[in-house]
Amino acid sequence: MGGQKLKKIIVAFLSLNLLLLASNQERDLQAVFIGRLAQFVQWNHPKEHLFRITVIGNNPFGDLLNRLYKEKKIDGKSVEIKHIARLEEIGQTDILFVTLENQQEIQKVILYAIKNSILTIGTQRGFAQRGGIIQLSFVMQKPHLVINHKTAQYSQIKIQAPLLAIAQEIIKGDE
Amino acid sequence: MQTKKYLFLSLLATQLLYPAPKTTPQSEKYYHKSLEELLATETELKADIGSRSGERDTMYSDVPIDVITTQQIHLSGSLELSEILQKYIAGFNYPSASIKDGTDHSKPFTLRGLNPDQVLVLINGKRLHQSSLMHVNNSIGRGSSSVDLNTIPVASIERIEILRDGAAAQYGSDAIAGVINVILKGYGHKNRISTTYAQTHEGDGKTKQTDIFYSTPLPYDGFINITAEFRDNQKTNRAEPDLRDLYAQGDPRNALANPITMHYGDPEAQNILLALNSEMITQNGTTFYAHGIFNKRESEAGAIFRLPIEDRNNPTLYPDGFLPHIAPKILDYSLSLGIKDRLQNGIKWDLSYTNGYNNFHFYVHNSLNDSLGDSSPTSFDSGGTSYRQQVINLDLSKNLELLTLAGGIEYRKEDYTIYKGEPNSYRLGEFSNNAGAQGFPGFLPSNEVDAHRENVGLYIDAKFNPRPNLTLEVASRFEHYSDFGNTFDGKFSALYKPTQSLMFHGSLNTGFRAPSLSQSYFTSTTTEYVVNGLNQIGSFGVDSPVARDLGALKLKPEISQHYTFGFVYQPTSNLSLSADYFYNAIDDRILLTGNISGSISPQVQAILDSYNVTKARYFTNAIGTQTDGVDVRLNYHHKFDNNLLLKTNLAYHYNNTQITQINTAPSILGAAGEGILIDTLTKERITSGQPKHILSLYTQLTQGDWALAFNLKRFGEYASVLGEDLYRFDAKWVSDVEFSYQINARFNLSLGAKNLLDVYPDRWGDTGSDFYSTQGSLPYPPESPFGYNGRSYHVRIEGRF
Repeated sequence: MGGQKLKKIIVAFLSLNLLLLASNQERDLQAVFIGRLAQFVQWNHPKEHLFRITVIGNNPFGDLLNRLYKEKKIDGKSVEIKHIARLEEIGQTDILFVTLENQQEIQKVILYAIKNSILTIGTQRGFAQRGGIIQLSFVMQKPHLVINHKTAQYSQIKIQAPLLAIAQEIIKGDE
Repeated sequence: MQTKKYLFLSLLATQLLYPAPKTTPQSEKYYHKSLEELLATETELKADIGSRSGERDTMYSDVPIDVITTQQIHLSGSLELSEILQKYIAGFNYPSASIKDGTDHSKPFTLRGLNPDQVLVLINGKRLHQSSLMHVNNSIGRGSSSVDLNTIPVASIERIEILRDGAAAQYGSDAIAGVINVILKGYGHKNRISTTYAQTHEGDGKTKQTDIFYSTPLPYDGFINITAEFRDNQKTNRAEPDLRDLYAQGDPRNALANPITMHYGDPEAQNILLALNSEMITQNGTTFYAHGIFNKRESEAGAIFRLPIEDRNNPTLYPDGFLPHIAPKILDYSLSLGIKDRLQNGIKWDLSYTNGYNNFHFYVHNSLNDSLGDSSPTSFDSGGTSYRQQVINLDLSKNLELLTLAGGIEYRKEDYTIYKGEPNSYRLGEFSNNAGAQGFPGFLPSNEVDAHRENVGLYIDAKFNPRPNLTLEVASRFEHYSDFGNTFDGKFSALYKPTQSLMFHGSLNTGFRAPSLSQSYFTSTTTEYVVNGLNQIGSFGVDSPVARDLGALKLKPEISQHYTFGFVYQPTSNLSLSADYFYNAIDDRILLTGNISGSISPQVQAILDSYNVTKARYFTNAIGTQTDGVDVRLNYHHKFDNNLLLKTNLAYHYNNTQITQINTAPSILGAAGEGILIDTLTKERITSGQPKHILSLYTQLTQGDWALAFNLKRFGEYASVLGEDLYRFDAKWVSDVEFSYQINARFNLSLGAKNLLDVYPDRWGDTGSDFYSTQGSLPYPPESPFGYNGRSYHVRIEGRF
């Protein structure tokens, strides 16, 4: 009887630790937003068999993105995650998640993305005003979305109305 | 039995040695939410305080941190920052003060039972100056100059971070009991205007307040945020009828109803408060920033009533006696200007200049200078004190793979002045021996002080993450002060997460508090006639010849050793329990001595006579203390199916201060020396003048357009001394409630009550005093941590635009 009780306590203790984990919510939300935002975006470039997400700069996610998107599909395609440090390594991608801190590097990446019809998502303040398409920051403990619709249009990326409707700020393009 | 034991121990060891495998249940849950739900998700609280490596999760920090959020500030129903801190922080004490001269108008606060000047206050991470006011009356914080938190308009604040740990190795002087960092509203806040009306259940204390917050966006998410607040507080008064015979014996007017002669409550005050917070970001990412506060306060409160029959009264001017009104005009501002950027090699730099100033100018009304006879004016300019602090900072930091390195240099210049009052406020006329304005005699020309000090600090800070579940941080700081020399302090802290839901943290550090210029130089005397001429009575700076001959020494810094350790257990994302033990030993705490008079010895009499002084006192490094205690927090939130969100926080704080050492008194004071360094009242004020046990339960319910907040707090027992007798005052439960309703997209209405159950502190009891006793006119103890105004109500309407 005593042994059974002890086992129950141990199992409960382990369960609490393994199943109900505390987490970094901002990081988790950023990881989720990448895929969820993509569901409201249409790219103009030819269809590929993979949906590619590239993180450029520091990797704040560890292997979270790989685990999160391992079994998921975006736009009906399996997801490939890539982490790179420099502009030259970008290659083909649908989303560039920009974690760079140097503004000149950010500017170069944004210009590259516009030319190549890549959806850019950044967390830096002023990212959208600098030409990034989606700025995802946190204000008073809540996600704050700024969408540069003008750049999106210029990049031939179509952002659907439901996403535009819920963004806190929009830098308008052609109506 | 053995097998079970081994099984348990091995599983426990596994838990402790290996962090739980990383899985992503939270992100999986998020992935299946709608975008609207994702945008409404509240993330963990983050804070800058206590580390140079940027914001981190307050729950998983190497040192204990509390954060008060914008929403909590909104639901506090309080218009003053000190009140908000007292409401939400269990170890924060903001006692009432009445009939305490300047202290009535700029009340001190304490953290963890220590002194007001042992807390460092920052605005946006930059050091905020202290008030020039020296608390010299018998109140909590006597002998210190504290920061006046109420100079910061509440509407300008985004959040308040409270570090419950010593941090002098990171921030320099004063960070002994903890650090309070006020973060002003920055990017992303909506414009708003609000107006509040409040009054007590007794019908007094009517308060009218309006504030406006206006944000102008600048390129690249820069902003200029301006807050303006206007507040008019009428006084409260809980004095009771004066039972003394006010007139000469046999005067029939003594048989009339006893009038209320005193003012015992909050002062009447008018405040203008402004705040600025601005960031201008250039195309290449360089950020120019400016933030500041401004407060102009005119306040008025009573001194002790002068009876018609007293020799301090002139019946021609005041046939029924008079209550002098002390009415300071306080000007306080602080402005920080800075520039920050990041170099190509990843080094972040931040260069800033801060100029903080406080001017406490005393005026006295409804008074007289008895020595000037019938021609005495009734209003006086009594002079005042001012303090300026200028700080230049250069902070550098760089994030490497597992290491964050930070360092910096700080130059600080302080100026402290005492300026004289108008001659009638201090001079001794020919009609009596009662010199100066009754209530608050003016500063004399001989009291004038113009003192300066400079110091340079150098610091380094390294944070190392050798494993994902282990963080180590070391910091050290060297400072050179132009008046007392050098200090060197260190700090080591660690965080270890054996599992994802359990964390242990601890910190070990040394610290110091530089003697304030006001402690070194405060001089305030009055004049009296003696047989051989005019004599002075009062406080003298430690460098003054009379103080030196009476044994005063140049003040040394207070030195502290501090450690804290505890744990955070978060079994689920909506439930957490934390407990921290802290220990703080402080040597050479600075106190104001008792009065030194000629009755001590013929030698002391001879010294006093040689300087024409009757009684003198000065500041000195007097005692060592030891404070320890615990902080326990239980946080829980739950969102019900009907979208009702419950947030609750249970907090318990315990502190116990003991005097461990009384420094050797100067030999000239002889056997009376120890009693002059620290008297019974001061001992009790330090060890039992503040509640040791504080329990608080905060509950917040929100659903759709409405929110309800309820705060219940138990202030533990505390004590005070009258004469040589100790009086204890029982613990009390005090509750506040706030209801907020969003009328439409623009307007919000709030209704609330403070001290809902109209609780008052215990009365003094039968002390025999005319003032502080059950029958006296001042029935409540001045140390009451929740005041003695009783219940009050308020209504506020807020508009967003």
